[in-house]
Amino acid sequence: MATTAKNLKGFYKQTKSNITGGISKSKPSSRKVAPKHAAAQGSDVTQPAALISHGSVDLNEDYDKEEEMLRQFDMNITYGPCLGMTRLDRWQRAVRLGMNPPNEIEKLLKTGKVQQDCLWQGRV
Amino acid sequence: MEIDSEKIHERKQSDYNSLQDERFEIQKEMYRGQQYSQIYFARLHLMRTLLYSLAPTWKSHLPVCKVLGLEKGKECIIVGTLFKHMKLKPCVLDEYSKERSVTPLVKPHNFMHPDDNLILEDESGRVKLAGSALSPAIYVTGVVVALHGKETNAGEFFVEDVLEAGLPPQIERPIDLQEDKYVVLLSGLCIGSKSANPLQFQLLVDHITGHLGDEEEQGLAAQIVHVVIAGNSFEFPRKLINGQNLASKDQSTLYEPIKELDIMLSQIAAGVSVDIMPGTNDPANFALPQQPLNRCLFPGSSPYNTFRSCTNPHSFDVDNIRFLGTSGQNIDDLGKYSEAKSKLDFVERTLRWRHLAPTAPNTLGCYPFTDRDPFLIETCPHVYFVGNQDKYDNRLIKGSEGQLVRLICIPKFCETGIAVAVNLRNLECHTLSFSTQINQS
Repeated sequence: MATTAKNLKGFYKQTKSNITGGISKSKPSSRKVAPKHAAAQGSDVTQPAALISHGSVDLNEDYDKEEEMLRQFDMNITYGPCLGMTRLDRWQRAVRLGMNPPNEIEKLLKTGKVQQDCLWQGRV
Repeated sequence: MEIDSEKIHERKQSDYNSLQDERFEIQKEMYRGQQYSQIYFARLHLMRTLLYSLAPTWKSHLPVCKVLGLEKGKECIIVGTLFKHMKLKPCVLDEYSKERSVTPLVKPHNFMHPDDNLILEDESGRVKLAGSALSPAIYVTGVVVALHGKETNAGEFFVEDVLEAGLPPQIERPIDLQEDKYVVLLSGLCIGSKSANPLQFQLLVDHITGHLGDEEEQGLAAQIVHVVIAGNSFEFPRKLINGQNLASKDQSTLYEPIKELDIMLSQIAAGVSVDIMPGTNDPANFALPQQPLNRCLFPGSSPYNTFRSCTNPHSFDVDNIRFLGTSGQNIDDLGKYSEAKSKLDFVERTLRWRHLAPTAPNTLGCYPFTDRDPFLIETCPHVYFVGNQDKYDNRLIKGSEGQLVRLICIPKFCETGIAVAVNLRNLECHTLSFSTQINQS
């Protein structure tokens, strides 16, 4: 399982994206080398370790700007901790506490085509 | 000569509702692996919004900033959650290693130490607090306050003044109650324990239902409109609860107290509405808010619509007088981690901090809510009671906006034989004391 081992090694070397949330918008700095044996599409695209969700390597290109927007929402500290809640629940809590979160997030989450759980769910 | 008089006493009626108890129910909650950061976030956010609105009237000239925005020497106001670093606080790992012991491991006593210090924390950071304006002996982890001060060269925040949330707004008490109506509060029946005297409780039940005393006594009993039992109604022999399967003779020992309580409760419920709250020793969940005792424990009483099994904490209205109370865990926990001259000081503090149980979830078991903190006190009660205390005590406190609250410490009935009766007309209370000692002189 050399492929998996290489993926895991790359996973641990990675720096996490945007913890402070909303202040800096830089992309993850270190690259993960896409293994040659993996059926990677667009292997020259930066694939941060955060793609490995729920134990499986997520190698497709659906990591797009919508997911990026949701991740920014997850990491935004004003809306509180993101772990242990679905993104929609957290958005609704933010509305109830009067924080006026952007409506696009709710629209996106209600389409059902995006991940409902937060970035770190199942991984920490 | 007439032996029995013609007069029939009718019990006074009152309106009752306990809609506020919905906040303490957890049936709709779903556990998704969250930790306690969520409830702390909700608490900080709601209290901070409130304190920000109070800060301009307190000190209008000072800027408000976050912990990370502190600058050396700049006077400002910061709002955050207090954390008290305590040397003697028992570590959770000790309890885990000796989990199987029959007696509780940590003996309840006070864990304070002169070296305890306070830290203020918000989502951006934490800062150690210095100065004598904030006494670590009074405050506990989990209280949200606003502090006026400045950062010192040592990197600590020197506190000059403290702003607590203060008593919440209170709905005006109806002033037109013509007649005396009483709510009886009792706790700590401890049925099943060796020290509980069944005759004492029977006397109380007989008094409430009007089977005791002469006409005048019955007249007094007819003025009782509601009874609340605030926790610890049972005390099961500890040796039976050790994880082993019970022999059938032991099983009957276990449910004898339950049957006994059910019989007594059905006697009360036949005459007056009664609420029963769970306590530390009762067969309910451990973490606050404790859920109502299951109705199948009370097959004799639950058919009555006057019988209600309620949550702990419990909040209800009788004739528009708001009652709020717990079975004592919140105050007992404060007693372990802070000090006061009397238990009523703790009770008053929780009201002025606007939080029923600030030490939850730090040292008091609590459900990990995600979107709210149900222990925040939003409306000021008229009567605030705490059960299972060592002795009876009461105090009337006034708020800055004219709020008036009667604080009551209900003693354990099995030890003192005392129940408390509160008059709805004027919030005065007195004791109902039952003694079965026969003095031999």
